Amino acid sequence: MEILKQIKYRPARVAGGYTDRLLRIDLTSREINIEKLAPDFKAKYTGGRGYALKLIWEGTTRDTRYDSPENILVMASGPLGNEPGFPGTGKFIVGTISPMTETFIDSNVGGHFGPLLKLAGFDALAVTGISKEEVIVLINGDAGTIAIAEAPRYDRATDDGALSYGDRLLKEVNDGQYSDCLAAVSAGRGALHARYGVTHSLFYDRRRHRIRSKQAGRGGTGTVMRAKKLKSIIVRSSLPKANGNNPVDKKGVRAAGRALKQVISKADPTQLHLSAWGTTILSEYMDKFHIFPVDNYQYGQSPDSSKLFAHVFLDNYFSHRLPDGCYYGCNLACAKGAENVELTRGPGAGRKVSVDGPEYETVGAVCCMGIFDPQYVMEYNWYCDQYGIDVISTGVTIAFFMECFERGYLTAEDTGYELKFGSISAADKCLHEIASGRGLGRVVGQGVARGKKWVAKKYAARNKASEDEVMAELNKFGMEVKGLEFSMYISKESLAQQGGYGFSLKGPQHDEAWLIFIDQVYQEIPTLEDKAAALKWFPLIRTWFNATGLCKLHWIDVRNPEASATPEPSKNLPTLAHYVDYLNATTGSHKSLQDILDDSERLYILQKLINLRQGKGTRSSDQIPLRAMAPAFFNEYQSRAEYYDRWLGQNRGSRKLPASPRQRHKLLIERRKREYQQLCDAVYEQKGFTANGIPRRETVARFGLLDEEARRLLDEMGV
Amino acid sequence: MIVTIEFLGTQRTLAGADSVEMPITKKSRVSDALEYVIDKYPQLKLDKDTALVVVNQQLASRDQVFKDKDTISFVPFISGG
Repeated sequence: MEILKQIKYRPARVAGGYTDRLLRIDLTSREINIEKLAPDFKAKYTGGRGYALKLIWEGTTRDTRYDSPENILVMASGPLGNEPGFPGTGKFIVGTISPMTETFIDSNVGGHFGPLLKLAGFDALAVTGISKEEVIVLINGDAGTIAIAEAPRYDRATDDGALSYGDRLLKEVNDGQYSDCLAAVSAGRGALHARYGVTHSLFYDRRRHRIRSKQAGRGGTGTVMRAKKLKSIIVRSSLPKANGNNPVDKKGVRAAGRALKQVISKADPTQLHLSAWGTTILSEYMDKFHIFPVDNYQYGQSPDSSKLFAHVFLDNYFSHRLPDGCYYGCNLACAKGAENVELTRGPGAGRKVSVDGPEYETVGAVCCMGIFDPQYVMEYNWYCDQYGIDVISTGVTIAFFMECFERGYLTAEDTGYELKFGSISAADKCLHEIASGRGLGRVVGQGVARGKKWVAKKYAARNKASEDEVMAELNKFGMEVKGLEFSMYISKESLAQQGGYGFSLKGPQHDEAWLIFIDQVYQEIPTLEDKAAALKWFPLIRTWFNATGLCKLHWIDVRNPEASATPEPSKNLPTLAHYVDYLNATTGSHKSLQDILDDSERLYILQKLINLRQGKGTRSSDQIPLRAMAPAFFNEYQSRAEYYDRWLGQNRGSRKLPASPRQRHKLLIERRKREYQQLCDAVYEQKGFTANGIPRRETVARFGLLDEEARRLLDEMGV
Repeated sequence: MIVTIEFLGTQRTLAGADSVEMPITKKSRVSDALEYVIDKYPQLKLDKDTALVVVNQQLASRDQVFKDKDTISFVPFISGG
């Protein structure tokens, strides 16, 4: 391995959850710098997403694109990451300017990389520049060295795969042995061709005796990595992980961790039981309540859905009785995996592979293409991981093209083959084309937003139609907002979740707000005001998790039995109290839950400012496709006509419904569109925004964010 | 008259059945079905006070009176990843 640049350093000690050090690496100049962060930096920006936002706000401009040299790829845990005494502390954030949305994106991911980066002396890593040749970065906290090295070459199959390359590298730098003192991030060949390349987080699993992977999946962070010609980063530290944060109050950390672990071990087995089944358990509940995104989100259910329910994967694929946490100390342990899965398709046919997953989102992506074959789910999962592309954006974009084909917007001449819902051979061909940048895959790899333009142009030219008119039709079912594809839930019947997707600053990924069940099923937020309040509160608390290095599932998917006695059970406040205790014991702060929400709101407003600067911050960017709020086409209406007619009846008081089903469908669409606009007004008011979705000057000032650039931006917006 | 009690997800494994039928009278309520399941299937560990009960896919109160052929299920708390 040829070292191109190396520096020596003395790793800063972690104290109270922080090292107060930022590692900056510029791949153009090969400069490596360690920056000591000012004391108020952590006070203002917390960690994780907050650090990424601040660095990108200051270090990029409105002209920065994903492949601009000045674009920054930030990786940061947070003050609460890296504590085996508390569950779910392996998370870190990968943040950057996205190839999909052209504004800030971040994706949170589990594994050991974030904790080890901190133990190696860094709260965050910021990579800029573009290397001349493909490189890797080695951060060795034990030896006190940081190096940029030429990316080693093995054989083509190994080099192309995000999994295989990272695996090989992790062995090579450790004398051929796996070790849990090492972790890596990597990006694969698919990220060279698709805009939705993922960043893998690779770590050694002592129970499975192999390297496992989790993904920072959304928005193309891996594509940014490969645009910088960065194939992998490896971090090493042998410092003990227990008490690795050197908390101010060790006993307090232990008490908070013990309390939360007790809630999880008692409540999870009687609820979703994620520890046994993983997130695939969600498929059945989504199908039951018409939320499973069948055939590009047209139908929420299918008679074939049960082929993809959790027990199928548990019985046929998952390794049993293995606690599958992605970091030490997690007793929710939802990261399920399978061994010796034989590939039956694609270039790897005949090979037996280990599969990390599937998660619910992978299952949802496959049903989105109208496919209900569990073996294909496993293979799709593995190929997407090995190529390093996002299972969600891949599935949703293929599904969009399938629907274009079925509705006549595309012909076999355009696509090269019959691209129909349910066709495994077509989906699989398209998947491999995306990864290699060939054929139709070259277009599908650009995502739905850019795919719509391509389809509109083709169709308009062939039919001498107006491109704008074709786009208007495609916009009804092209499932993207701000350039990012929807995650795998149908929001048609939950106004709150329509907002959860539409207002989400990164685009329609549910980690900002997932309100479907508390709205549609539990009916805990019945009024417009309730929904607007939830659309302020949930994104703020979820932002905090992304700023601190924590997994959200222990709070959000295991309801503390004590919550039922509180006025707002959906907030699960008794569990959140353990998190507040954990924060204060680690950092020595004396914060309340409201203080945490205020900290988060600063980050939320900063992200909004970046969106405004990048042209994605006003009301028009919060608009969602018709299919996200209503049955876009008559066939969707017909599939649940009785339900929709009842809904219309309940919402029209004593007025009679139109006699014709087509008129009722039209009326339903009008009603749903009006409701969404009313929601926009209510939510903007709650958040301190103008009617155009722009933060008021006093809102920005309240969080100390009214710097020169923010002033100029708000001036331009007339606020 | 009967109602069908559906077991979803992990409940199916614990109960060893996809569903069971429960005879009802004109006065039978959701609370009766809940007590029936708690009694017959203690392994589900349903909490009488906090379990969320759904009848024909709509959240139901404890005192909702059944109609013939209603479908009832118990839904865990799901709040997304």
